Amino acid sequence: MSIVVAALVAVTVLVALEGAGPAALSRHLYLAPVIVAALHFGAPGGALAAAAAVLLSAPFVLPEIERAGLTTEAIEGLVTFGVVVLVGVLSGVLRARAGRHRRRYELLVTIQRALADEAALDVALGRLRAALASRLRVDAVAIVGRDGERLVVAGGDRVAEGSLAARVLESGEAIFVGDTGGDGRARRAFATPLMSGGHAVGVLAVERKGEISLTERATLEAVGAHVGIALENARLVSRQRRFADELAQRVAEARRELEELDRAKSAFVAIASHELRTPLTALQGFSEILAVRRLPPEEVARLASVMRREAKRLGRIVSDLLDLSRIERGLEPALCRIPVKIDAVIQATAEIFRQGSATHLIMTECEPALPIVEADPDALERVLTNLISNAIKYSPTGSTVCVGARAAAEGVAIEVADAGRGIPAESLSRVFEPYYRVPDAAGAARGTGIGLAVVKALVEAHGGTVHVESAPALGTCVTVVLPPAASLTPRAARV
Amino acid sequence: MWSLDQPYILRAEPLLAGTPLALLAVLAVGAGASAVLVGLQVAPPLVLQIAGVTAGHGALLVTALAWSGVRSSSCVVAVALLALAATAAAVVPLGAGAYLLPAFWVLWLAVRGRLAALGLGTPIPPQGLIAGALVGAGLSAHLLLSASRTLGVETRIDHVPDVLAAMAYDVGANVLAAECFFRGALFQRSQRRWSFAAAAAVATVAYVARYVVDPLLPKTVELVIGAVFYLALLGVINCWLVWRYESQVPGLVSALVFFAAYRTLGAG
Repeated sequence: MSIVVAALVAVTVLVALEGAGPAALSRHLYLAPVIVAALHFGAPGGALAAAAAVLLSAPFVLPEIERAGLTTEAIEGLVTFGVVVLVGVLSGVLRARAGRHRRRYELLVTIQRALADEAALDVALGRLRAALASRLRVDAVAIVGRDGERLVVAGGDRVAEGSLAARVLESGEAIFVGDTGGDGRARRAFATPLMSGGHAVGVLAVERKGEISLTERATLEAVGAHVGIALENARLVSRQRRFADELAQRVAEARRELEELDRAKSAFVAIASHELRTPLTALQGFSEILAVRRLPPEEVARLASVMRREAKRLGRIVSDLLDLSRIERGLEPALCRIPVKIDAVIQATAEIFRQGSATHLIMTECEPALPIVEADPDALERVLTNLISNAIKYSPTGSTVCVGARAAAEGVAIEVADAGRGIPAESLSRVFEPYYRVPDAAGAARGTGIGLAVVKALVEAHGGTVHVESAPALGTCVTVVLPPAASLTPRAARV
Repeated sequence: MWSLDQPYILRAEPLLAGTPLALLAVLAVGAGASAVLVGLQVAPPLVLQIAGVTAGHGALLVTALAWSGVRSSSCVVAVALLALAATAAAVVPLGAGAYLLPAFWVLWLAVRGRLAALGLGTPIPPQGLIAGALVGAGLSAHLLLSASRTLGVETRIDHVPDVLAAMAYDVGANVLAAECFFRGALFQRSQRRWSFAAAAAVATVAYVARYVVDPLLPKTVELVIGAVFYLALLGVINCWLVWRYESQVPGLVSALVFFAAYRTLGAG
């Protein structure tokens, strides 16, 4: 600045010393400080320097006009005025325009750098705000970004309802406020939406005590659009990565489940083969004995009784397998429902076990006048058979298995309780899964791991529920609740 | 940050809101009545001179004071002091010193913080004072140089009492009223609505117009063109000084220096 002033004064002194009035050759030297001022300070600098040059040279031109009118020398002086002003203003404007383009480019690069690394939205916005604050030369800058329903604010605590930022976010239109209040120089505010896909995904707000020119506003709008797209890209990349991680996790889980299922099925095949082979072997062996030997009638009756029991067991296993097959195909077990008195079914089933097993005490306890349920008697018997046989299998010899029924709010509750080892808490939620067997129980008793799955499917096909309660070392109680005949669901009634 | 936590309300206050119309009407009626009385030769021409100075500068000053929120009674006091000073200056040779009274009144109001909206009573940056003095000195130097070279006007420092009286008039009436209204009030209000360039243009055009229609300005072409040229420059630069330093004092300094130089000319 001082160099420009000194140069202008020096040129004026030269013109004065030359003594040639308005046509002094050294007057052209005014162009040098004017151009320097324009290149350094832009259009205002160029215009001011040109005005100063005109003011300084006026005392050499105007007296000539006053004295002799528009002489050639005077016209030369006036033309010099025009040229100096034109050069000053034009150079300044061009310099300012170039400067604006450079700043805009640098700003975009700054934004790219700020958002280059993948980071959480609040971190990215904070980084971006810091970068913009150092570039935009404003008094305050804030960036607001949408993160779902939440607003992340960099440069402030919150977005108040009815504020400029809230209005811009709502309307998606940029708003310029010429005066935000207070004395002295007006404090301007400009807020522009961060646009992505035609929607406002945030707001860029700046405030300055002074001008925010049209050009600056246009630049800020362009920056807003750019930041919006950059933020959206960052958000998409982040989301994509999150999805990929989730997908990988789910695939790993599914794979683990499949591997476990595969192991369970392999185990099931082995167990089922064994379970099928045992009664078959008994049937085959006893039938051969009956075919080739002549035995006393009591022995024949005993062998026939064993064969009948093993055939029943074989039939039950096959029925369970068929039901399981239907369940796995997404079908419900086929039922033939009729009104059934639960206590009668319980008594009959318990009696069968009493006759077949002398190792456990089977106790029944049914409330009088239980509601009638509409059920498939055969399915109900299989449910009870599965539950009672499980109770017998997993409780110590000589213990008691209690089978009872009572009226409940939802219908009739059937409970089968034993005094066995119980089921660990972590296995309780899985005991109704097909092929699942409680790990430490697998070696304690024979079983296919499909009994409870079949029980659950049969009960639910009746519109009922089943749940298990167990305390380690105290025993297990399985409760089946069946709806009364009057409150059958339509779905269940159709079956 | 205002954009985030303050309610956004569109302000629709008119540019001329708060103008003391009643007081302006009284001043206009007073000046008009004086003109009639002097025209009818009922009153001496001195009365019209006093009424003109009081009405002209008083209107600008009280409008500026009213726009900054000063009470009407304070505006009336300012007008009364102006009238007193104009009377004293017209009647007594050294009475022009009374023009310092309105200046002190404005200073008192500024010290009490009532003129912050006009940029008075706010902190004054030393750079602003220096800039104002340099601007005034630069324009004064150019004025004196070009006036003496082109118009052959000579300085009249030999009439020191006249120059001092004119300077007192500038301090308490001319410069004070013009700067308070055109920069402190009109420009400040305009720059809240429009850009700096537009606000400076509005304030400067009004400022130049006020001097062009001033009956005290000699109506020769050279002086009118010169007045337009220098006052336009002074107006724009003072707008920038107020804008840059958020105080009216640098502009007051530049205008006082410039008018002091002008008063030393034979034409002043």
